[in-house]
Amino acid sequence: MLGKLALAGIKNRRRDYLVLLAGLTMSAAIFYMFANLATNRAFLKANAVINQASLIFGFGAVLLILITIVYIMYANSFLLSMRQHDYGLFMMLGATRKRIGELVFLETLILGAIATAIGIVLGLLMSQFLVGLLLDMLGLHLAHLSAFYLPAIIATAVLYVGLFILASLFNMVRLTRTTVLKLLHTDEQANQPKIHPFRQMVAAVLGVAFLGIGYWALAAIKTLQVAAIPLALVTITIGTYLLFRATLLVIIQGLRRTKWAKRHLNGFLLGQLNFRVYNYTRMLTIVSLLFAMALGAITVGSGYHRQLPLMANSIGTYTVAIHDKNTQEQALIDQLNVKHQATYTQKRQGKVVYYNAAELQQQPFELSKSAQLAKSLKHPKFYTESLTKFKKSGVQNFDFQSLAVRKDMGFYTPKILSAKQFAKQSGTTMTVTTVRVKDLVQDQKVLKRLNRMEVKRFALPEQITVGNYQSYEMMSGIFGGLEFMGYFLGIAFLAMLASCLMFKILSGAPGDKQRYRMLYKIGVRQSLMRRGIAKEIGILFLIPGIMGVIDVLFGLQMFKPIMASPMSPYLGIGSIFAIFIGLYAIYYAITLTLYWRIVLPKAPTN
Amino acid sequence: MTTNTVVNVHNLEKTYGKANERQYKALKGLDFTVEAGEFVGIMGASGSGKTTLLNMLSTLDVPTKGDVVVNGHDVTKMRGNQLADFRAQEVGFIFQDFNLLESLTAEENIGLPLALKGTPSRVMDQAIHEVAETLSIADLLQKYPSELSGGQKQRVAAARAIVHRPSILMGDEPTGALDSTSARELLDLLTTINQKQHMSVLLVTHDPFSASFCQRILFIKDGQIGSEIKRGEQDRSAFYQQILNELGTFNE
Ligand SMILES: Nc1ncnc2c1ncn2[C@@H]1O[C@H](COP(=O)(O)OP(=O)(O)OP(=O)(O)O)[C@@H](O)[C@H]1O
Ligand SMILES: [Mg+2]
Repeated sequence: MLGKLALAGIKNRRRDYLVLLAGLTMSAAIFYMFANLATNRAFLKANAVINQASLIFGFGAVLLILITIVYIMYANSFLLSMRQHDYGLFMMLGATRKRIGELVFLETLILGAIATAIGIVLGLLMSQFLVGLLLDMLGLHLAHLSAFYLPAIIATAVLYVGLFILASLFNMVRLTRTTVLKLLHTDEQANQPKIHPFRQMVAAVLGVAFLGIGYWALAAIKTLQVAAIPLALVTITIGTYLLFRATLLVIIQGLRRTKWAKRHLNGFLLGQLNFRVYNYTRMLTIVSLLFAMALGAITVGSGYHRQLPLMANSIGTYTVAIHDKNTQEQALIDQLNVKHQATYTQKRQGKVVYYNAAELQQQPFELSKSAQLAKSLKHPKFYTESLTKFKKSGVQNFDFQSLAVRKDMGFYTPKILSAKQFAKQSGTTMTVTTVRVKDLVQDQKVLKRLNRMEVKRFALPEQITVGNYQSYEMMSGIFGGLEFMGYFLGIAFLAMLASCLMFKILSGAPGDKQRYRMLYKIGVRQSLMRRGIAKEIGILFLIPGIMGVIDVLFGLQMFKPIMASPMSPYLGIGSIFAIFIGLYAIYYAITLTLYWRIVLPKAPTN
Repeated sequence: MTTNTVVNVHNLEKTYGKANERQYKALKGLDFTVEAGEFVGIMGASGSGKTTLLNMLSTLDVPTKGDVVVNGHDVTKMRGNQLADFRAQEVGFIFQDFNLLESLTAEENIGLPLALKGTPSRVMDQAIHEVAETLSIADLLQKYPSELSGGQKQRVAAARAIVHRPSILMGDEPTGALDSTSARELLDLLTTINQKQHMSVLLVTHDPFSASFCQRILFIKDGQIGSEIKRGEQDRSAFYQQILNELGTFNE
C-alpha cells in the first residue's frame, strides 16, 4: 500500500524525476567515456603519443571521480527535497520509520541503478560517435578506440552503484532521524542570517589574504615546484569561501536599504538572495573552483595545441633531413619556400661518421642561438661558423649529430676529414640533405608528403633523423591529446558542476512555490515574477562564474614557465571563454525553465 | 448599479471539475451587493462555498457563470496582467494563515503592494509608517515574520492589505488562527479601518463573535444566499444574540 502511495508521488513529479534521471545518466555516460579512454589498453598501446599523456589521464580520472561524488550528493539532496514532504505525511499517518526507511532506500537505489544502466549504454554510443567527432575536429587520428570495453563498464557500474548505495543509506538515516514536523515544514524555513560587522571584516581580510597567497603560489610555481598546486588549491578554496561569506551578505543587505530595493520585486529578490546566498556559500565555492578547473583544462590544452606552430620553427636548425634524396623528393623540395639548404656526403664506419671538409666549407652547417640568447623563439637567429671553429665545437651540436643515427639509437661520432682523406676513407656512403623553410606551418602539406616518403624509404634508424617537422608532428600529437583531454574534462566538469548548481537551486524550488503563490495572490504580474526568478537564479549562476574566471586568469600563471614566449597561456582564451560561457548559459536556461515550471502559480482557467 | 456600490455579484455560479470529470457545483447563482464603506460578514457551514465566493471576488479563481463587478471593474472580463493589477490595486486580502513572506521584514512585507505600483520610496515610507501607527506595529517593522506572534503577524498582514488603500478589504477567517484576545484586537482594528478610512470590508467567518462586528451578515447555504440580517442600531452584544438565533434556525 505504502509502496503504491510512493509510486503515485513519483508519478506526480515525473518531469522532475526525468530531469534528475537525465542528469545522472549523463554523468554516468561521461564517466564511462572517460574510463574507456583512460583504461583501454589496446587503444593506449596503439597510440604511443596518447600513452605519454596517461599520467594526465590518471589525474583527470581522480578529478572526475571527485566531482562525480559531489554531483551525486547534490542530485541526492534534490531527490530528498522532492520526497521528504510525502514521507513526512506517510509517517504522520502512522507508517513506521522502518518501513519508510526501506522505501527511501529502495527508491534511491532503483533510480541510481536505472541511471547507471542507461548511462553506460549512452556512454557506449557516445564513445562510438562523439569521441571520434571530437578527435576529428582536433585533427587527431587515434587507432583502436573500441566503444565497448568491459573493464570500463565494470568500473563505471561499481563506482556509481557504490555511490548510490551510500546515498540510499544517507537518505534512509536522514529521513528516519528527522522529526515528522520538520519533514513537513522544511519548505517554510528561511533563516535570515545576521551580520556581525567585526567577524565579517576579519573574514573578508582573511579571505583576500588567502586568495592572495593562492594566486601568488600559482605564479611562483617555478620556485615552489609541485608544492604550489596543493597550496594554491587549499588557500584559494578557503579564501573564496571566506570572501563569499563576508562580502555577499554585506552587499545584499546594503542594497536592501537603498531606494532600488523598494521598487517592484527587487526587495523580494534581495530577501531571497539573502538567505539563499548564505546557504549556498559552500556550494558556490565548490562550483567556482570546478568552473576554474574546467575552464583551465580547456584553456591550457588548446593553448598548447594552437600555439605550437609559433615555436615550430625554432625547435632545431633544419625542417627536414633527407637521406639519398631521389628526384621525386627533389621535386617536392622545389615546391618549398627554402631559406637554407645543404647536402653533405657521409661515410659511416664503426662508430664514426666522416664528413668532407670541402663540402662543409662550401655549405657551412647552420647553427642557431639557444632559446635564452635569441630574443624570442618566434624569430630564431641562425648563423654559421668558420670551419676551424666548427671543427672544435660544432661537432658536438645536437642537430649535427642527429644527421647520423646508429642502430642502437645513439649517434655516430662526427669527424671532419680533408677532401683528400675523405676520398680515401672507406665506409657506407650516403648523402643527407638538410632543408630549412621560411615557415613550417605554411609549407605543412608538402612537408608532410616529404616526410612520409622519407619514412617509407628508410627503416630505422634513419627514420628518426628528426627535423623540425617531425618534432612538430609529434608534439602536435601530444598536445592534441592534451587539448582533447582539456576539452573532454572541461566539458564534463562544466556539465556536472552546472547541474550540481541546478539541482541545488531546484532543491529550493518547493519552498519558493509557496512564496510565489503568495505573490500571485497579492497581485504580482506573471512577467514580473518571471523576471524576478531569472534575476535570482542568474545571480546564483553569475557569482561562481565570475569567481571561476578570476581563478582561471590567475591560475594560468602556473603555465607561464612551461609555455615560454611566444607561447602564452593567455593567448586566444577569448574564444574558449566564449564557448564555455555559452555552455554555462545553456545550463542557466534549463534551470530557469524548470524553476519557472515548478514555482510559478498557474492562472485559473475554466 | 449606483456609483457607491463596491461589489456587485449577479447570478454567480461556480462548478468545480472539468466537463468530462465528476463535477461539483459549489455556488449556485448568488446575488448580492456591498456598498462603499460597508462592513459585511459572510457566514455558512463548512463547505458551503464561502472561500469559493471570496476567490471569485478576488480573481484568484474564475466563475463558471455570472457577473462580478468590483469598484466598476467587470472582473470576469479581465485576463492575465489585468487580473494581477486588479488584485494589486483594488483588493486587500487577509488570509487565515497570514501569507507573509518570511524572507522579508515586516516593513518590506507591508511595502510590497506599494513597491509593485512603483510608488516613490519616500511616499512609501510614509504610508508604511502611517498604517503601522494605526495598527500599532511601529516597533515591529524591522522583524522577520518568524520573530512575530500570530496576532502580530496578522496585524502586519492587515497592514499590508490596506497600505495601498484598496477599494475593498477581504478576509477569509482572518481570526481563525488567533487566540481570543488577538482576534478581538484585530476585529477592533478592522472596525477602525472601516470607519476611519471608509474602506469596505468583506469578512468570511464561521465565528458568531467575529461576525458581530459586521453591519450586515449574509448566510450562505448550499451555494446560495440563505438569509441576511442587519445590525442596524443594535449594540454588538444584541447583534451577537441575533446571530446566534439566526444560526440556530438557519442550521435546521
Ligand atoms: N478546487 C476545488 N475542486 C473541487 N471542489 C472544490 C474545490 N475547492 C472547493 N471545493 C468544494 O466546494 C465546496 C465549497 O468549498 P469552500 O472552500 O468554498 O467552502 P467553505 O465555505 O470555505 O468551507 P470552510 O468553512 O470549511 O472553509 C466544498 O464542498 C468543496 O469540497
Ligand atoms: Mg473556507
